[in-house]
Amino acid sequence: MIRTLVYLDADLASSIALRYACQLTHIINMKLHTVHVEEPDHDGHAPGTGWVRRTWENTMLQTGEFEIAQLIKAEKSSCPRLDAPKMLFGDRENEVLREIQRESYDLFVEGSLHSFAAKKLFDKINSRLYRHIPCPVIIVKNLVDIEKVALIVRSEIESKKLISMFLKIFKGVKLKLDLVYCEFQEPGQLSSGAKKEINGTLSAVEEILVENQFPPENCLTIQGSPEEIGDALRDYGLLAFPLHHTISKKSDWFQLLGHIPSPILICWQ
Amino acid sequence: MRILVAVDQHPYSDRVVKDVAKLAGNTWADVTLLGVGPKATEIGRSSNCAEFKHPLAEKLRNYRRNFLDHFEKEESPYEKRLCKYEFVEVKRGMWEELYVCRGARKDLKIVLRSGNPVKEILTQSQENDSDLIAMGCNKEGDCQWEGAINLPQKVANNATCSVLVVKEEKQIGKIVCCLDQERISQKSIEMINQMVTLYQTELDIVGLMDGPTLKPMVEKNLDAILKYYKARKIKAWIKLVEAASLGPFISQEARRSMMALWMGEHSLLSKMFTRGKVDKLIQRSKSSVLLLR
Repeated sequence: MIRTLVYLDADLASSIALRYACQLTHIINMKLHTVHVEEPDHDGHAPGTGWVRRTWENTMLQTGEFEIAQLIKAEKSSCPRLDAPKMLFGDRENEVLREIQRESYDLFVEGSLHSFAAKKLFDKINSRLYRHIPCPVIIVKNLVDIEKVALIVRSEIESKKLISMFLKIFKGVKLKLDLVYCEFQEPGQLSSGAKKEINGTLSAVEEILVENQFPPENCLTIQGSPEEIGDALRDYGLLAFPLHHTISKKSDWFQLLGHIPSPILICWQ
Repeated sequence: MRILVAVDQHPYSDRVVKDVAKLAGNTWADVTLLGVGPKATEIGRSSNCAEFKHPLAEKLRNYRRNFLDHFEKEESPYEKRLCKYEFVEVKRGMWEELYVCRGARKDLKIVLRSGNPVKEILTQSQENDSDLIAMGCNKEGDCQWEGAINLPQKVANNATCSVLVVKEEKQIGKIVCCLDQERISQKSIEMINQMVTLYQTELDIVGLMDGPTLKPMVEKNLDAILKYYKARKIKAWIKLVEAASLGPFISQEARRSMMALWMGEHSLLSKMFTRGKVDKLIQRSKSSVLLLR
């Protein structure tokens, strides 16, 4: 069983992430755990010490707990296996990272609404949490149905790790799977075709998937600008993406990541 | 719903009539086809007193035929069901046997007006209490009507109701909808719903951020809008845009998507989007533009 941690705040992004994670439980043998971190004020200082401080922290946690409980209650009908959330107090990134390491979760899911400006996503990818996270991450940008999944292929070596991670979560699941190779070009020349890439990467990756009884339905090469390719990939309910922490904000790959409106499964390289 | 379709004799008007027919098929709207032409003095009459000789008259009849062709005769809400002679009281105590057709569930009117086209279109929309003015424009250049400079732009800027400017022969990839989620109206949400059905396309709902994050009320309304469209099986995507990036965002999206902007009296967009910007959007957009009010 895949043990998944879903991070929740009382906002739309978390509501969408929770609904999406609930959809995943319908196709994958998965147990959802939820967590919320109540952060101290922006200056980071709690008032007083000892009893005063503990009382203040407890009050804050209770307020947060009520809001998160409302969020979970709204999804209970479609996701009956949801338990009460774990409530933590402190720095969000540190607490979530500690929780993931302590409980050895297989997958981390959180919401981050699709944005025209990619800064927020870049900051997230470069955050302390993501730099040290030991498991793959799904960033839910929009609520979509998971009917079709795409694996983004960059190189054969990266893809081996991506496939191994993907199969750990999805093995045995009946899904339409496509392999997608992206070739970046100037805008206005978007094209998509079956297996056109020159170096044979797609064929090699396809072979690995066939060996693992998960043959892809289509092997596609999409040519265009990151913005056009991102838009062309919106039919997929999930895009599995190999990613290095060192990715540059100006690189085509990051631009593509920013323009994809669907949820992204990040496999760290 | 009441739709006013402003037309002339050029091909872009054919397209808008077809689109409005589809829209009317979904909404059962009362539709007025308005032709604005030469002054009344130039309208001639043939020897048969009942027949107008006007350059637009025949074209308007063709538009009506095209509009009605969109519907199966039996199911058309615009079809006159029963025509017969019946006595009608024309004034107190006086009855006249008239040939009366009854049964059309919705109105399809043809109106010809003369004068300044912009003024006439706006006056007719007010007289009809229209919910939507629809018009086409040429595909070459910057979205114009033949012989009337910046007509679509002037109507769009001055109308008190929603305006749809349909560009010729352009396949709409998706509809990008910028609503002011603080003052969202049910009417505008439904209008977008109709457009999505009309063009069989997907929908991007833009959440406008007046700072680094969404206001709680905007977020709550976005969630409600999303649930509304999901319940109607409309594929809707959320995209956040900072107010400062709205200009670049709209110019980028207008190249490939139909733009729908909520320009209500108190909307944030109408404050940020001046008349000049609306003109540019209509002129430069490759796809149709919908201004919601």
